[in-house]
Amino acid sequence: MTSTTPRATGRHVQLMATCLCDAFFDDVAIATVEVLEHLGCTVEFPENQTCCGQPAFNSGDWPASRRVIRHALETFPGEVPVIVPSGSCAAMLFHGAPMEFADQPESARVGALATRVWELSDFVVNSLGVTSWGGRLDARVAFHRSCHTRGTCTGPAVLELLRSIEGLEVLPFGEAEQCCGFGGTFSVAFPHVSSSMGRLKLDHILEAKPDYVVSADMSCLMHLGGLAEKEGRPVQYRHIAQILRDAIRHS
Amino acid sequence: MNSRKAIFDGIRAALSPLQERTSYPDYSAVIAEPQWLAGEADPKALFEKRLMTVGGRYFAAAAACARWLKADGATLLYLAPELAHLEPVFAADLPVTREYSRGLVDQIDAAVTLASGAIAESGTIVLSDAETPNRLAALAPWRHVAAIPSDKLFRTISDAIAALPADPNVIWITGPSKTADVEGILIQGVHGPGQQGAFFV
Amino acid sequence: MARQLIDTFAARLDKGVQKAVHDNSAAGTDKRYSVLGSDYGDPNPLRALAGAIKQHTIEHLDTYLEQAESRLTANGASVHFAATKEDACRATFEILKAAKATKVVKSKSMISEEIHLNDYLAANGVSAVETDLGEYIIQIDHDHPSHIVKPVLHKNRRDIARSFEREGLGEYNDDPETITRRARAYLRKQYLAADAAITGANFISAESGRMVLVTNEGNSRFCLAGTRVHIALVGIEKLVPRDRDLGVMLNLLGRSATGQQLTVYTEFISGPAPAEQPSGPREMHVIFVDNGRVETLASDCREILRCIRCGACMNVCPVYRQASGHAYRSVYPGPLGAVLSPNLAGKDFAKLADLPKASSLCGACNEVCPVDIPIPDLLLKLRHRAKEEHIPSPGTPPMGGFALLASSPSLWRAAMVAGAALDVVPKGAIPVPAMQDWLRTRTLPKWRGGRFRAWFRNHKKQS
Repeated sequence: MTSTTPRATGRHVQLMATCLCDAFFDDVAIATVEVLEHLGCTVEFPENQTCCGQPAFNSGDWPASRRVIRHALETFPGEVPVIVPSGSCAAMLFHGAPMEFADQPESARVGALATRVWELSDFVVNSLGVTSWGGRLDARVAFHRSCHTRGTCTGPAVLELLRSIEGLEVLPFGEAEQCCGFGGTFSVAFPHVSSSMGRLKLDHILEAKPDYVVSADMSCLMHLGGLAEKEGRPVQYRHIAQILRDAIRHS
Repeated sequence: MNSRKAIFDGIRAALSPLQERTSYPDYSAVIAEPQWLAGEADPKALFEKRLMTVGGRYFAAAAACARWLKADGATLLYLAPELAHLEPVFAADLPVTREYSRGLVDQIDAAVTLASGAIAESGTIVLSDAETPNRLAALAPWRHVAAIPSDKLFRTISDAIAALPADPNVIWITGPSKTADVEGILIQGVHGPGQQGAFFV
Repeated sequence: MARQLIDTFAARLDKGVQKAVHDNSAAGTDKRYSVLGSDYGDPNPLRALAGAIKQHTIEHLDTYLEQAESRLTANGASVHFAATKEDACRATFEILKAAKATKVVKSKSMISEEIHLNDYLAANGVSAVETDLGEYIIQIDHDHPSHIVKPVLHKNRRDIARSFEREGLGEYNDDPETITRRARAYLRKQYLAADAAITGANFISAESGRMVLVTNEGNSRFCLAGTRVHIALVGIEKLVPRDRDLGVMLNLLGRSATGQQLTVYTEFISGPAPAEQPSGPREMHVIFVDNGRVETLASDCREILRCIRCGACMNVCPVYRQASGHAYRSVYPGPLGAVLSPNLAGKDFAKLADLPKASSLCGACNEVCPVDIPIPDLLLKLRHRAKEEHIPSPGTPPMGGFALLASSPSLWRAAMVAGAALDVVPKGAIPVPAMQDWLRTRTLPKWRGGRFRAWFRNHKKQS
């Protein structure tokens, strides 16, 4: 979403944790709740939630993806903002879903849901208006701007928050705008290219010697982290929500 | 079926289901001007600067050009008939011919021809068939220098486009011919001139 | 097990070639970024404008094509149309035959590669020499270009020097300047001995019928200075409505392709040369070629027809940088090719249906496209089409089961708990191909299914 797209606002929000956090990264979802509550939000977690339907959409199986989105429409009723700790899942809901529902009967409802979806950092900075994060974290951070946040306000929002944390240094590294190579099912259908892209990214990142690799997307971090660990040069990775939570925990 | 009919029928069939069509955008040519252009008050100075940036050579006058040609080792200069009045200037420094023929392609290693204009923004020389009817003469020699009428200096690319004459052929030349096909290494002088120059008249 | 062809190609690619492709492409991307930044600050309004001009053009293509035809004819050119490859080859040959032309020089034309023109001409007794240095090298090597702007970025100077020696251009010498000078000397003999020139066209303005040809080498200009017949093969989509639109396009084309404000030679051709002129073709023919473009216009991928062939998308594409152009098995590689090639293939769509899959959908291509083509969306539409046509896709896990799981909350919650087995069972034993593929080069994090949900329930109780 660009800064000019009108979207739902307010401090009563619904959380879409994402299937990755549901399965692997509970602490990211926990940190997301803690960050939102720290900012005075009331967070609802609709328990029937599952996934945003992106894997099926990206593989061309739009009927399967639509099934999942229809379930999401039922799971997130109402008009309050839906906060997602993932640029990729957020983009699926505000760009991918409208695309695959363009000539479907639910197209208006999908469009309505799209206007309620916020990636977490975008919500914190551009809806709640928080541009300076309190707290402290002494760390050298390499920020990986995930590709699904291209053209959205997420990248700048994450950077603004990171740079405002006392003690935290954001490190530049080479070819930062290049994709990490995850790409969803691309990572398993094109294993050589995907791993080569990941290795190239790791080489650049590790040259900067960060304490953490930080992103708004666990999918990228899971791929880079998994690659790094398998190669015997593990990296510490954190979601932006965890960094924000850890910064205020310390103070 | 005849290709023309097949293509037009196909295009119309392809476009007829479109609910909405993009309209022709309203715009000012200024949008394509580089932001640094506003600070450049002197078009001739800008032309000189941009010509040098693209690897061209600027001469203050024909005489300077003649001296350079000699120093650069040119052995036979083709001077376009439209510039006959400049012959004394060039003949002082090197042999001049006013005949260009295919038979002389290998001998003529320099040419000075009349340009139709120039573009300050890009250091571009404009040639047209009307002013340079011998296309080969301006292209084949290793060194080419354009004599540009001072009143035909366009400030921008958009201005030059707006002023395109009804001529079967207009060519914009922005620096010497070049390629980077071999390992991305820039080499000047491929099919066209390896040295491209200009002076105002 | 079946693998994606492009992935296999990339895995087998010579490391030296891959490095050359990567470095050359990255250099192109950097130059583009640098010049657009210093010249425009934010080039996005200009890109959006160019995109709108081109989209408007293709959405009114019949009008503009008719207008272009009429202007070109009034200017003294002969206009022809070719629906298929065969029509285009035949039309070209008929013109050459009528002009008694047996020696042809060619300026770069990707369309001529689409229609396999050189082979057709050779079979009919016409010799055609490529004059763009890169294309000439491709020709003598019986190779294919691996980039639309830099055709031999996969070759090094030693490769080229050997080819020149084999071709009789002189003893082995791999100095780039020597190579270039030799090509200059040899090719100008060809220009001057040729009867006809075949070129492409970058743009045609419908308003005036002016055709624009851009090069850095001057080869198209030489073609048009040395011969007596000019044939231009032009895709039907290569139009702009008005001359002023050429200004917008030309300001973006050079910068996007090579970081240049303008290419060295920008030629505006309105018609044949006058009879009294010492040089220039007396005959000018324009062959408007369809070859799948009309079908593409009718499809949901029509935006790809905006393309002005700058090559910026392939320069920035991380997949192109790993695999190189030949991996795409078609005339157009990279993101452009991944959309255009399957579309132009018509009934052979299935043969190239894997091209749109070779992408992480990162969107870098759209970001650099001078005409703002939404390439990732088009790739998604093509993936959808391939699925609808039941074209198999190696390595992509089936989604039916996933959709069932993800639309059934109780099944999902059960799976979250059951997934803990992943940490107990040896991962190599899990018969899920996608997981095996993942584990070959990456570890998986520990399974934590159900934990967040339990935390949240507890958290809510406490507040």
